Amino acid sequence: MTPQSAHPRPDSPRTLIHPGPFDPVRLRSMQAHRARHVRLQLQPGQTLFDALVKPLYAMGIRNASTTILGGVFTRLKYCVAPIDPSGQAVAAYTQPIEGGHSSIIFGNATLGKQADGTPLVHCHAVIRTAAGLIQGGHLLAGHCTVASEPISVLVTSLDGIELRVTYDAETNVSMFKPTKALQHA
Amino acid sequence: MHETVFVETGSMGRIAYARIAPNEDLVRSVEKICLREGFKNAFIRGALGSLVDACLTRQDDSWQQIKGPAVEIVSIAGEVRQQEDGTLKAHLSGVVADPEGHVYGGVFVAGFNPICMTFEVTLEEWLPQTTA
Repeated sequence: MTPQSAHPRPDSPRTLIHPGPFDPVRLRSMQAHRARHVRLQLQPGQTLFDALVKPLYAMGIRNASTTILGGVFTRLKYCVAPIDPSGQAVAAYTQPIEGGHSSIIFGNATLGKQADGTPLVHCHAVIRTAAGLIQGGHLLAGHCTVASEPISVLVTSLDGIELRVTYDAETNVSMFKPTKALQHA
Repeated sequence: MHETVFVETGSMGRIAYARIAPNEDLVRSVEKICLREGFKNAFIRGALGSLVDACLTRQDDSWQQIKGPAVEIVSIAGEVRQQEDGTLKAHLSGVVADPEGHVYGGVFVAGFNPICMTFEVTLEEWLPQTTA
């Protein structure tokens, strides 16, 4: 950066008013007592959800951060998050958008648990849709099917941390909240 | 004749997962997570979430603001490094998608990327091998 930038300052960041009470805790962080690194190959014909969750659960990994290194899907659905027209939250996911026969250029997915304890994959990715558009959004992992070639994923397990979907009063939506895991890895 | 390349050897250390609340700044919060966890150097190992609006730099140092809400972070890579004066600085670059899914990329400008709903990030501590 030059001390005297030729470019004007960007607009000041906007502070949005969320529907619920302000939570005084702004950062929730936690250390894993162990991180295992795994290279996983998403198997052809499976959904992104099954291809991630099943092998990781078989290894005892329930909570993880993953990087999807790119690959082709025979079908793929995603959402974007515009302003929530109902006003219940500041933004909300749209109805699923059909990407069709698409590729993931790059994606990150977090493995955690739903409120009821069943596995949940939260995935954001850059994709190339069947129509050739480069788009970004929230992938619906159960509605994306791996094409004929396996897709590499780098997994970092978060042993000792439990990521569970919890209602967040400030935003009025449910999201992953990290807590200390009980006993099992 | 060979090129002079700076190589830092070291190893990965501890790992932390964090969630950042709405209206907090992306870049500075990642630095604060390192403060909280005692990491002096770290790499982002996976992260996703949304911004109110995004502010990215181009290679000529100009800014690009992408209006939300919400602007989703769909790809991000970066590191936190301890500076010579002892302070911590995060350098994060990535790709964001606007409310219609159109994508933009660049370096996230510290102080100008407020979180919209949440941002979740896994940081892995980097322990450079100290030269005796």
